[in-house]
Amino acid sequence: MKMTSPLPPPGKEMGHYVSEAPFDVMSIEKISPEQEKIYLAPQWKLMWWKFRQHRIAVWCGVFLAILYATIFISEFLAPYNIQTRNVDHIYSPPQQVHLFHEGEFVGPFVYRQQYKLNMETLKREYTKDTSKVDKIRFFCTGDTYHWWGLVEMETHLFCPANGGELFLLGTDRLGRDMFSRIMGGARISLTIGLLGVMVSFVLGIVIGGMAGYYGGWVDMVVQRMIEVLQSLPSIPLWLALAAIMPVTWSPLVVYFGITVILGLLDWTGLARAVRSKLFSLREEDYVMAAQLMGAKPSRIISLHLVPGFMSHLIATATIAIPTMILGETALSFLGLGLRPPITSWGVLLIEAQNINVVALYPWLMLPVVPVVLVILAFNFLGDGLRDAADPYK
Amino acid sequence: MLRYIAWRITVMVPTLLMISALVFTIIELPPGDYFESYVAELQAQGENVDLKAIEALKVQYGFDKPPVERYFHWVWGMLHGDFGYSFEYELPVTDVVGDRLWLTMLVSFVTIIFTWLVAFPIGIYSATHQYSWGDYGLTFVGLLGLATPNFLLALVFLYLANLWFGTSIGHLMDAQYFNEPMSWAKAKSIMEHLIIPVIIIGTAGTAGMIRRIRANLLDELQKQYVITARAKGLHPFKALMKYPLRMSMNFFISDIGSILPAIISGAEITAIVLSLETTGPLLIRALQAQDMYLAGSFLMFLAGLSVIGVLISDFALALLDPRIRLQGAHTK
Amino acid sequence: MMRCLRLALLTMLLVLGVQTNAFAMTFEETPYFSDLVKAGKIDPVARRVPQQPRIIDLAKIGREPGVHGGKLRMLMGSKKDVRMMVYYGYSRLVGYDLNYKLQPDILASYEVEDGRIFTLHLRPGHRWSDGAPLTAEDFRFAFEDVMLNKKLARGGLPNSMLVNGKGPKFTVIDELTVRYEWDAPNPQFLPALAAPLPLYLTYPSTYMKQFHADFIGKQAAEALAKERKYKHWRAMFIRLGRQNRPENPDLPTLEPWFNTIAPPSEQFVFKRNPYFHRVDSNGRQLPYIDTVEMNISSPNLIPAKTGAGESDLQGRYVSFEDYTFLKQSEKRQGYNVLLWKSAVGSKVAIRPNLNFKDDAWRAVMQDARFRQALSLGIDRHEINMVTFFGLGKEVADSPLMQSPLFDEEYASAWASHDPVLANRLLDQVGLTKRDDDGTRLLPDGRRAELIIETAGESTVETDVLQLITDHWQALGLKVFTRATQRDIFRSRLKAGNTMMSVWSGLDNAIPQPSMSPEELAPSNDSQTQWPQWGLYGMTDGKSGTEPDLASARRLLSMWQEWQQSRDDETRERIWNDMLKLYTSEVFSIGTVNSTLQPIVVSKKLHNVPKEEVYSFQPGSYFGVFMVDTFWFQDGLGSD
Repeated sequence: MKMTSPLPPPGKEMGHYVSEAPFDVMSIEKISPEQEKIYLAPQWKLMWWKFRQHRIAVWCGVFLAILYATIFISEFLAPYNIQTRNVDHIYSPPQQVHLFHEGEFVGPFVYRQQYKLNMETLKREYTKDTSKVDKIRFFCTGDTYHWWGLVEMETHLFCPANGGELFLLGTDRLGRDMFSRIMGGARISLTIGLLGVMVSFVLGIVIGGMAGYYGGWVDMVVQRMIEVLQSLPSIPLWLALAAIMPVTWSPLVVYFGITVILGLLDWTGLARAVRSKLFSLREEDYVMAAQLMGAKPSRIISLHLVPGFMSHLIATATIAIPTMILGETALSFLGLGLRPPITSWGVLLIEAQNINVVALYPWLMLPVVPVVLVILAFNFLGDGLRDAADPYK
Repeated sequence: MLRYIAWRITVMVPTLLMISALVFTIIELPPGDYFESYVAELQAQGENVDLKAIEALKVQYGFDKPPVERYFHWVWGMLHGDFGYSFEYELPVTDVVGDRLWLTMLVSFVTIIFTWLVAFPIGIYSATHQYSWGDYGLTFVGLLGLATPNFLLALVFLYLANLWFGTSIGHLMDAQYFNEPMSWAKAKSIMEHLIIPVIIIGTAGTAGMIRRIRANLLDELQKQYVITARAKGLHPFKALMKYPLRMSMNFFISDIGSILPAIISGAEITAIVLSLETTGPLLIRALQAQDMYLAGSFLMFLAGLSVIGVLISDFALALLDPRIRLQGAHTK
Repeated sequence: MMRCLRLALLTMLLVLGVQTNAFAMTFEETPYFSDLVKAGKIDPVARRVPQQPRIIDLAKIGREPGVHGGKLRMLMGSKKDVRMMVYYGYSRLVGYDLNYKLQPDILASYEVEDGRIFTLHLRPGHRWSDGAPLTAEDFRFAFEDVMLNKKLARGGLPNSMLVNGKGPKFTVIDELTVRYEWDAPNPQFLPALAAPLPLYLTYPSTYMKQFHADFIGKQAAEALAKERKYKHWRAMFIRLGRQNRPENPDLPTLEPWFNTIAPPSEQFVFKRNPYFHRVDSNGRQLPYIDTVEMNISSPNLIPAKTGAGESDLQGRYVSFEDYTFLKQSEKRQGYNVLLWKSAVGSKVAIRPNLNFKDDAWRAVMQDARFRQALSLGIDRHEINMVTFFGLGKEVADSPLMQSPLFDEEYASAWASHDPVLANRLLDQVGLTKRDDDGTRLLPDGRRAELIIETAGESTVETDVLQLITDHWQALGLKVFTRATQRDIFRSRLKAGNTMMSVWSGLDNAIPQPSMSPEELAPSNDSQTQWPQWGLYGMTDGKSGTEPDLASARRLLSMWQEWQQSRDDETRERIWNDMLKLYTSEVFSIGTVNSTLQPIVVSKKLHNVPKEEVYSFQPGSYFGVFMVDTFWFQDGLGSD
């Protein structure tokens, strides 16, 4: 190509020349197909790869996913209904599952329990009768239940042998199977956290977003609101709010009321985080560019700003869920919120809250194990998500 | 800057007023009032209830006036240092809270120190050995305290401590020291009884602190100056402690807002279960009984501390981080 | 000369004879006071007790005389429980003996004429705990300057002192005798004096006069009140003079122990009263125990603390559920767990609210057949087996066997398990239509869903309700339980918003004919089955609503008849009529009574009965069994 064309006369346009030679975009810097995958990967894929590095978080995620899936079939998975009473087996300790009986492989079974009342201490004593073998049945018929309140079913994953009982985690003071109760309680305990977090999520983003973006007096009002709410200790506030819930509400409505209350008081932390993030991001050039291009504030907030820290928000949310679960147990302790006959892990723990259980019937404290596991799982998951979402690593 | 300080202080006043209105509404909201429950309680004990005497009591404390009037009366009193009268204890509020305050602060301070002592090493180790098994393990231990419901833990600890060590159950000291003046024996008893509440309340707080130390430290350790320092031959420990750690202490400042009131009244549930003589159970009981002035004035006190704390932390943050523009939306 | 000597000797003996006690008993000085007596700060015991002390013959009631000394530790759940010492101490003008018969205690004797004229005789030389003498002036001061004082007693005289709305004529006969006279019989008077929470006829006037405006002048009284941080002198007087709640350490008392620590405090220490009027037959002034230490703690911790051996006498805040735990720690900790019988008409009783706001439900619940059906539908045997190990009695809400008014007819009224008859009765009431799932329908088409409210304090209640829910399911009634908080529970009841509630049965389940049958009639607005009618009965018709049901009206008029009765035969007849009507109408649905109450007693504490009935009314918990006669081995407490 030669630059030999003369300059055009003054006032006339310059000549315009476009080379027609083929041009390879990658000719300057060659990248391999693997590298291409990385550089052109969308944001969520990047997050996922980062997340996978945090192995524990992944396992926790799987664990939680399984747990939430079991909610749908909790009656099927449990050998008894949560209210099934067995007055002949009150306060019976957990039964051990054996595989070998007198040296022979028999399959999973439990030994039958003999009941005796110690007349001096009035304690119910249970001894294993090693002659009676109660084989555990699988995919069997047991207590009838209504699946999601609709279909009447009878099948359980596993049940006790006919004429025998199967108390994997013992029974409580009305002879109800603890394993079934814990499984049944999961439904309420796990979902109450989710709903509460959703409420606080929405509130936090909307209010925090407005404060962060507009600033000025909007920000001031919101800040004062947050201050007001945060300066009151949470437990008294819960107390007061729960005390005004009418007693005649059905348990389900009470349950929703509790989730709303828990969520209403928790949005402030999220709002503050959103607000401060927006404060710093607001100054970024791409925001200015969008503003110059005429984008509306709502579009800027939702399309440009929020995705920038959505991952951070999700991570915060997963850590807020355990607070809700613990909050539910705290409310039950104070005598508010969920009460028997509703079954949740909080209610089960409250019933175990006395010296008799600690000293004599410790298996009634087992609901604390799923609570701890779920909270740990959510925490690790949240840690992993947050690390993965952080663009600076 | 000075203008900002003056502005925030002026704004504090309406905030506190708003809080006081909120507190008053919250306490008045549940149906009934203290006198109703008082009457009911007397009747439960078989006492002859002199309804007219109760009416007279109500008039005496201004309960025959409309709520709005009572509210102003209360706020006016507080501005003069008169925190009102507790019906349940039949004493001025300040007398009721008095003794418990220093015990509460003792418990809180020891707990905070315990939390720092536990969280710091774990957080630093976690940050410097990210994703190792040590990291996971220690974080797990730290989280355990957070995850377990305190009330159950409290009861189990109490029982075991009594079974193994003979510690008397509950309270902050042995029964014989209750009304005795301070002495070495009494102090020793208090220390012995502090162990359980501090462990239970403290472990709940360590998880959050570990996480924050870890996150902040990780941020700092990425920075250029750390690499420069190491390149120049600074000892790794010094490179860790002298600069990055100090920079990541930012979050302490933003925490002041919430720590201040928590020192005065925190961990209500654990305190109730352990029967501690702190202000937490006092507040809860006052709310349940609708003991208006005790609950309201104490809540206002806590709220006031919180607002002041937030103010302090915002100032400090603004001083340290110029990124946070304070003048409102950026106009161009 | 001999005559002079003899005269002198005679005079000397006379003088000495007057100074020693009329009974010429030799008293043994209480070791607790021996130093003070030697220093001359306090009188020796012979002059501290009244000249005619009340002598408790312990051997006669099957107990051992004891020795002085020791500290009794107790655990309580709230600082208001200082009032427990008034119940446990049980020092009354007139009290109940071990058979719940009235006997003079503080009084030397009393006479009743025509059931309406009561003459009370004090013991000469009887002094208050601060040393001031107990005289008729204390009674006069109490009656004229306190009870009749419009400013101090705004509600007027208490009900037990009113007959037909009129108070008594009070006369001081002499320094040791007073008389109360009404126009018509007042059978409530003496039981009110013997009640756990007694009618106080006397105030320590020497002490209280210094706070009374009529004696020191209004200005001085107001100034004193302000100094002590009270709003008016009236509030000060009432607070400082509250004898039923010994919070004021300076208030003189006639009880065996007096409080030495003012609230707020986590611990209250009660010390022995040097002028207590009872002695044992060995000349030892009662009480045996020197101090009582009451430690306040969270109620939920008390079973644990008791099991750790921190209490020497514990009946409050421990329940049957804790028995196994307490029994297992027995040997390790050095106490015994006794099992007394809990004296309530029924451990758990359900009461339909006949004043419920909903018209349709009210009409159904006011039909006796409905209540009878509900009662027949309950399987009391299952409840007994599950909750009480089968150790209770499956009965209606009625008196226990220990009461002279017990009758098999009352106990078994509608208390069998007969779902067939129950269903038939429900059909007769008009609940014949049923929904698809078998739930009955009200006449207006709504489902018959019962909402039972509890104060949510007891797991026993929750458990029993759980069982009853299933029992009544078989009758076609769906049950929902709502647990609330005690304050909300009560206010909802009074407002008529509660359909049915759960509480314990009759408070006084070992009644004597001399005791008031007010629980069986609409007499109080805190009665959960008819709060509005109860208000009517309580205020003599001034507030509340008149009972709609003829049976309730009949009970009300029978109660009023009792209040005018002259003798015990009439009273017994009235009691039986009322019990028959009450149990046949099933105003309260009982389940199980005679349940067991664990009592923890230190191994070193003697004279605590092994098996007794534990009740507030009329037993005053331990009061009737005379806590002042409990004693520690070797006079040494547990620590």
